[in-house]
Amino acid sequence: MTSERSGATFDAVEPGDDLPEIVLELGRDYVKSHATAIGMPFPRFTDDEGARREGLPGQITPGNMTLALLARELLAWAPGGRIRRLGTTFRGLALAGGTVRLLGTVTEKDDERRTVECDVWMETAEGDRCVVGTATVELP
Amino acid sequence: MAFSDIDRSVIGREYDRMTYAPIAVEDIVSYARTLGVTDPIYLDEEAARRGPYGGLVAFPTFVVKLRGGMHMPQEVAREMTTGGFDAGKDIELGAPIRPGDVITATSTITELYEKTGRSGSMWFVVFRQHLVNQHGEMVANVDSRMMQRGRTEKEAAR
Repeated sequence: MTSERSGATFDAVEPGDDLPEIVLELGRDYVKSHATAIGMPFPRFTDDEGARREGLPGQITPGNMTLALLARELLAWAPGGRIRRLGTTFRGLALAGGTVRLLGTVTEKDDERRTVECDVWMETAEGDRCVVGTATVELP
Repeated sequence: MAFSDIDRSVIGREYDRMTYAPIAVEDIVSYARTLGVTDPIYLDEEAARRGPYGGLVAFPTFVVKLRGGMHMPQEVAREMTTGGFDAGKDIELGAPIRPGDVITATSTITELYEKTGRSGSMWFVVFRQHLVNQHGEMVANVDSRMMQRGRTEKEAAR
């Protein structure tokens, strides 16, 4: 059950519920633009050539941006919620120019704090989980 | 000098403190817009006034922009010279950031460790930016794990 503002609500969610999947194209300009906005306009994040000079296969997405995209996934599911904690491990490269899927699932509920624990992750088109994380979200 | 020789007393010592200029509306909006966020509470002052925070707030992960003035203390940076990678990030969030907030970031190293895998040894440094606003409220603790391939004895001797 959802409401217009709150989306997912504490009473309605249960462990095992999946967050709606988001399919996202990591366009090169999109990655460059956000990397610049977060003060990380480094070659590896802004163009293929610069990234290759650093020994990478091509332009990559900053870890800080993948973290933010997982937060975006959580708040698209629960726009009335508040993220209390989000922890991520950057396991692989999220190459710019590719398409990724943002996924998640509810793993626990805390009735006292009205929070839920979620597993969240970013998957490449090849199915590799390039970023994995856990989050605590307070729900209305 | 090698990673294992770094004086562990560096752990927990504040090595950087930086107070930022007041957070501008444009910074908050630009962060959300370039990320592709569409919720007006992060983008539109007028619409945000009717929202749950009663005004514009920064998207939660905006806090990772506030990395302080010095990336690592010198004695650690000296050993992490071959270009490391961001291995992960943990953020704990408190008060939301609003336009005009004056944020102070203090930085400490919280962990230094080495792991050995199939490709050799990897060095890890975890540093924390503790962010507080002008009211003394905790805004965030941002823990960043940096990783780099360990240097061989031959490389270290160069």
